[in-house]
Amino acid sequence: MKKYIVIAFIAVGLIAIVGLVLYNKPHRNTATAKSDFAVEAPALLQEFTSDEAAANQKYLDKVVAVKGKVNAIAPDEEGNINLTLDANDAMAGVICTIPKADAETAAGIKAGDEVTVKGVCTGVLMDVVLIRCVVEKGT
Amino acid sequence: MKKIILNTLLLVLVANAVQAQDKFFTKTGKISFFSSTPMEDIEAHNKTTTSVIDTKSGKMEFAVLMKAFQFEKALMEEHFNENYVESAKYPKASFSGAITNLSAVDFKKDGTYKVTVKGNLTMHGVTKPVEVPGTIVVKNGAIQAASTFSVAPEDFNITIPNLVREKIAKQIKVTIDMNYEPLKS
Repeated sequence: MKKYIVIAFIAVGLIAIVGLVLYNKPHRNTATAKSDFAVEAPALLQEFTSDEAAANQKYLDKVVAVKGKVNAIAPDEEGNINLTLDANDAMAGVICTIPKADAETAAGIKAGDEVTVKGVCTGVLMDVVLIRCVVEKGT
Repeated sequence: MKKIILNTLLLVLVANAVQAQDKFFTKTGKISFFSSTPMEDIEAHNKTTTSVIDTKSGKMEFAVLMKAFQFEKALMEEHFNENYVESAKYPKASFSGAITNLSAVDFKKDGTYKVTVKGNLTMHGVTKPVEVPGTIVVKNGAIQAASTFSVAPEDFNITIPNLVREKIAKQIKVTIDMNYEPLKS
């Protein structure tokens, strides 16, 4: 009888641990994630403007490495960085938000620089939006 | 002949540029929401809201990508996207409306103005009329707009299973914070 109680306790404990681990599952780390796609900024915007549904199918939630010229780069009041890549369009581009924790990957980058930014694609409004971005080294 | 066409084209462009000074926009507006219950507090932030305000007509437009809402925990984000707002099916939320007391705001003069914005909020494939209070701050030719209001998930056909119903507030508090810049063209 005692044996069953012990087993029951262990089982409950295990379930609790599994539950806790699942609950605290970390966010995908873009810095170490392998990119699913590598594209140039104008081509990415073009794909979204010509067929948004198809582009959504292809890119949403995927890690995309986008190469392009920096249009604007500015930190917000919390220390996150907004970086816009030029996409040969007066109104639209590719907006990348770099979280505070990865802000140092964008250190020293200024408008006009050619960079590759890796992030999770969330879709298009006027611009294609990438979140959890990092600037890739060696570009 | 070619010159006339070119001149007309230029004229149209210039006219547009003059008109555009009434319009202010942002692509990095912030929208956050908070759900507070005794069981759990949940918050999410979106920093890539695109919004336009037309100071002449008082019209305001907002668009936001649901997948760009970031949560503290990956699991919350997953549940939000997959189970509640179904962001693969409904990737965007938008608001289109206008300031109802536009005469109370002087966009040419620095100051803080209380406004009411009325319009339609579309989310999860459902469009509902909403009326929210807000503040507009005019400073050095830039416009900042802020608002806090509540929405009920059930109003937008978002069903939350009974098992977790107690963990998610019946009324979700939404805060909006936009820093507009003049639209240059």
